[in-house]
Amino acid sequence: MSTVKLNTLPAPTFSWLGVNDIQADVGALDNGTYALDNGSCTEVLSGGAYEITAQGGEIREAVMFISPNDSAQVSTTVKAGGSSAVRLVQVFDGKAQTVSSVKALLEDDTGFELVQLYLGTGSTISEIDTQLGGRKSEFTANIGYLLGGDDKLDINLIARHLGKKTKSQITAKGVMNDSAQKTFKGTIDFVSGSAGASGAENEDVLLIGEKVVNKTVPLILCAEEDVEGSHGASIGRVDEEHIFYMQSRGLPQEKIVQLMAQSKIAQIVNTIADEQVRARINNKIGRGKDDE
Amino acid sequence: MSEKTIVADIDRSRYDFRFEEDESNYLGSGLTAEIVTELSQEKGDPEWMRDLRLHSLDIYNKTKMVEWGPSIDELDVDKIVTYIRQKSRMNTDWNDVPEDIKKTFENLGIPQAERESLAGVGAQYDSELVYHNVRKEVAQSGVVYTDLESAMHDERYGEIIKSHFMKLVPPTDHKFAALHGAVWSGGSFVYVPKGVRLEIPLQSYFRLNAKGAGQFEHTLIILEEDSYLHFIEGCSAPKYYEAGLHAGCVELYVGKNATLRYSTIENWSKNMYNLNTKRALVSQGGKIEWVSGSFGSHVSYLYPMSILNGEGARAEFTGITFAGEGQNLDTGAKMIHNAPNTSSYMNTKSISKSGGISTFRSAVVVKENAVGSKSSVSCESLMLDKISRSDTVPAMDIRTKYADIGHEAKIGRISDESVFYLMSRGMSEQDAKAMIVRGFADNVSKELPLEYAMEMNNLIGLEMHGSIG
Repeated sequence: MSTVKLNTLPAPTFSWLGVNDIQADVGALDNGTYALDNGSCTEVLSGGAYEITAQGGEIREAVMFISPNDSAQVSTTVKAGGSSAVRLVQVFDGKAQTVSSVKALLEDDTGFELVQLYLGTGSTISEIDTQLGGRKSEFTANIGYLLGGDDKLDINLIARHLGKKTKSQITAKGVMNDSAQKTFKGTIDFVSGSAGASGAENEDVLLIGEKVVNKTVPLILCAEEDVEGSHGASIGRVDEEHIFYMQSRGLPQEKIVQLMAQSKIAQIVNTIADEQVRARINNKIGRGKDDE
Repeated sequence: MSEKTIVADIDRSRYDFRFEEDESNYLGSGLTAEIVTELSQEKGDPEWMRDLRLHSLDIYNKTKMVEWGPSIDELDVDKIVTYIRQKSRMNTDWNDVPEDIKKTFENLGIPQAERESLAGVGAQYDSELVYHNVRKEVAQSGVVYTDLESAMHDERYGEIIKSHFMKLVPPTDHKFAALHGAVWSGGSFVYVPKGVRLEIPLQSYFRLNAKGAGQFEHTLIILEEDSYLHFIEGCSAPKYYEAGLHAGCVELYVGKNATLRYSTIENWSKNMYNLNTKRALVSQGGKIEWVSGSFGSHVSYLYPMSILNGEGARAEFTGITFAGEGQNLDTGAKMIHNAPNTSSYMNTKSISKSGGISTFRSAVVVKENAVGSKSSVSCESLMLDKISRSDTVPAMDIRTKYADIGHEAKIGRISDESVFYLMSRGMSEQDAKAMIVRGFADNVSKELPLEYAMEMNNLIGLEMHGSIG
């Protein structure tokens, strides 16, 4: 084990905010890379390296349930070449410290759709680094988190636009309860030459716990004129008007907050195509079939 | 072949004139305990101030450079002249100001502005204030507007200054705050008594004339309960080949239910390193309004901080940054919510052209006790060509669930749809683009008094010609 700096912010900022990087003890990864088959659902119970590759017009999908028993490092490589697309769903619900990285390389006319759900994570450090290298490559990230207790989550997402007319769409929605701590760093980087590119990023956080610590750091780096970038963030409590409306319909306050929290995460869960995977996640978050 | 639309650089001819300095007036360059002690003796500092200077120097030597932001490797602080002796005593009669200094400020339009639209003026030339004057009726209302050194030696204000000076921005804040603490010189002291509302603004103008010099003025403003002040700060310097350094410090204390508007039009020459620190402490029900235009300097680090320390305190920051060739301007604001029901609002625009780099950097911190607080941030960046760069680096740290925080940012170029729409209404393409860029800068110009809005428009010098490339 050695202590390393992880999740380094691509453009560091005021050091007193404590968001420029995070230090953690990590061990070396085991040798060998496991290829994720199309349509597979993999239970990740210990550290390892995974890979999913799509070529020549293929659409490849994989689901990973990541819940290691002991602290673990999980790295996933995504390669999409020649008009192909990759859909990857990762669900984190282990209590042991997890260091995850997703590195994606997108060639011309490819797409990468990533869904990540963090459902009570203990301590998770997660980096997503997508290189939109090919012309017209597209990256969509839907990230949901449901944190409580002493959960700690640090996400560093980077969408690097290198190719022309590339597109990225990053959506993060989450709920924080008790004394959960979360840092979400999302960077859209328009590198010189990425003319015609567009990137949008949005984070919507619902704060429920009395002692939560929420850090949101949405960056846009731009060295190209012909691009469109935007980011937005909305952080706060349940809208009082919503509470009032639902109370007037006879719902108690606790149930209202629970419903709001579930609906927040459901917006991300519903982007998953596989019904069985959806049902399994809904089961975990205490949301029945009738709620869908 | 079509020609690319040009947005002109800021016309600097008005600022680039200079007068030769007599170098015998320079205190040696570099930074040693001897130089700081000599400076302190020269200025006749009280003992506490001399101790603060030496303590700050010690901190400066121990503090590392920041590990983020634009490079300042080319700045050699050891070569910067930290203090230039004044040529004359501070004057309250414009006619007594030495001729070349007078000419400098007349070229910049300061005495004219005083006659027409200001309640008082302070003018600093290199290291010292050379002129300070307030209208009689303003002085009679109990408002104090004077240079900080005189105030420090005045028994009526000495204690106030001692208890406020570098308390908001301690020398430990960062390396250049420590440098400021060691070699500060000049600057203004403003005191507005309880209930006094000054409807016409006060202005300080800072001019750095000497080459290879630093300016380290300190502005200390104290507003008592229910008072109002609009303070305007202007800065400029001629261009030399040697780097200049501005490491000023502004400390603002806004009392209960008081409002302070602090406007800055900064137009340092493009060889200046502008490493300025500004901070406001706002009490219950008080409000700070920052209006900030950053046009000049080679490298800027500027993020005014508002500490909302009393219930219901508010802060607004409106800023524009225009980075042209050879400029790397890192600007923004910091909002610290440290009391219940506080609110902050940030609205910034930045324009990058001809290889200029502009970075918007911000921090919104809502502490556990700031229940019921609200914050909204909006920043927009406009790229005028593909050789420039524009980065947006905001951060939010929220530690209570009883808060509503919103943030939005956009980056892009002038949209073809907007140009098309205006052209369909009969405008030429270049007029349409010019109108859009002027409109983009409107958030700041509409916040300034008319004369300064016009000054800013001159500064932007948005002359457009040609057609879309």
